[in-house]
Amino acid sequence: MAYQAEISRKNPGCFLFLIDQSESMEDPFGGGEDGRRKAEELATILNKLIHNLCIRCAKSDSIYDYFHVGVLGYSEESCKPALGGELSGRSLVPIGDLASKPLRIEERIKKSDDGAGGVMDQTVKFPVWFDPYWKGGTPMCAALQEATRIVATWCQEHPTGFPPIIINITDGEATDGDLVAEARKLTAVGCDDGSVLLFNIHLSSTAGPSIELPTNANQLPDQHAKQLFEASSRLTPFMVARAKELGMPAAENSRGFIFNAQPLHVIHFLDIGTRPANVHLR
Amino acid sequence: MKHAKAVKECDIKIFSCPKLGNSLEEYEDAWAHRQTRTPVGIRVAVADGATESSFAKLWAVLLAESYVRSEVTGAEFFARLKSARRLWRRRLAGRPLPWFASEKAEQGAFAAFLGVQIDAHKNRWTALAVGDCCLMQVDNVGKGMRVVEMFPLQKSSQFTMSPYLIGSRSNGESLNERIQISKGSLRDGDMLLLATDAVAAWLLKQHEEGRPLWKWLYRKLSTPESFAAMIAYGRKNALRNDDFTLVRVIHHDLPVEAKES
Repeated sequence: MAYQAEISRKNPGCFLFLIDQSESMEDPFGGGEDGRRKAEELATILNKLIHNLCIRCAKSDSIYDYFHVGVLGYSEESCKPALGGELSGRSLVPIGDLASKPLRIEERIKKSDDGAGGVMDQTVKFPVWFDPYWKGGTPMCAALQEATRIVATWCQEHPTGFPPIIINITDGEATDGDLVAEARKLTAVGCDDGSVLLFNIHLSSTAGPSIELPTNANQLPDQHAKQLFEASSRLTPFMVARAKELGMPAAENSRGFIFNAQPLHVIHFLDIGTRPANVHLR
Repeated sequence: MKHAKAVKECDIKIFSCPKLGNSLEEYEDAWAHRQTRTPVGIRVAVADGATESSFAKLWAVLLAESYVRSEVTGAEFFARLKSARRLWRRRLAGRPLPWFASEKAEQGAFAAFLGVQIDAHKNRWTALAVGDCCLMQVDNVGKGMRVVEMFPLQKSSQFTMSPYLIGSRSNGESLNERIQISKGSLRDGDMLLLATDAVAAWLLKQHEEGRPLWKWLYRKLSTPESFAAMIAYGRKNALRNDDFTLVRVIHHDLPVEAKES
């Protein structure tokens, strides 16, 4: 049966993020009500995803390399590794390296329970790996081709591992070819345990209700969303069960597609051992 | 004197093994047992520190030790974990941690817990659980032996990768709905098995599929080597890779003079 491989330090999982850095990401996000650009929303999402992956893998005073993570940015006419600082130029990085080498660690104020029914300000560390950026066109097909090359190498090197998961975060429209055809080529790559999985996170300028893990394209607002849905892989049975546990509306034929919503739960779709039900996600 | 006899009548053996690929130092289950004075008997506990939490081994040890040193058998045990929680925090205090370790420790450690008190005079047991550590009671009747009790889970399909667990930080959430309590009686020769989740789920699955291991566990399991052989067999037969802990208690009726003394 596919998608059963255990994720461990010896046989790590792989997350590869594809990041839309095209000019259209300068536009307002979700109707522009809170004054944020799509590029800023994307940076927040990516920083939170990496942050949560680090916390997930933290173990006592160290961190276990359960995952290797890559970030490819696509803009203008090219696609290239988008991690900065000491990680610049690397396409896949063990999670421990990400944890110890963010671009910077900011201190932010968070409201928290004061234990006496009130709210207090608490200073928390907020590591940043990625800043907002936008320029030029949307070479999403080039990004999918580069992802295909990277995960094919990964699968050769980890033939018995859990297949890589590619998470594409975009505002929707490829300017360099047939997105669905390139996605098919990408998801044709695989390990002994199954084909690689492609999930799409669609950040739209359109205001409207969020959509998570749909089973069909009927409710999706436009052609770009429908195309991204078409390009998205079906969730595995474990992922459907885990998504339901986390309160997401998943069903048997759900696709890894999210429209205008925070995709933080997605990194919990891979199992690395007992996860307490009473730990709430950030 | 009465004390020594009570223990002598309970044959306890502990078997454990870390997850394949992990070192012994990374084993995060815990167990403890201790004689009781009133009633005469023993208290036994197993706890299973959650993989996705930090400093979980320490918390599992503190839970198991707190139970066997306590005299409480009911849900109020969980309301008296203040000193165990303080000890857990104290062990971490002042320790220089990188940002991710510090943030993870803020969430607290989590563990599943099962505690059993055996009253040797009245031939009764009382069990208390949160999470998916399991108690299985098997009697020594008939060829195949009979399962008398499974607690708190009864079927292998009830085990999940996200059980509700006990946290080392009291976050104000009520545990009440998660606490499970059960009681039962014991006959001479009964076997009680206390197991952490993976081995419990596998034993139940073997039982459901008509290949029970009860008799083997009763008669043949005696050394770390025989436990290792069972785990090796299990790994080839759908036993999930995890830390494994199995405590086997075989109960023998106290001699009449001990009961009367």
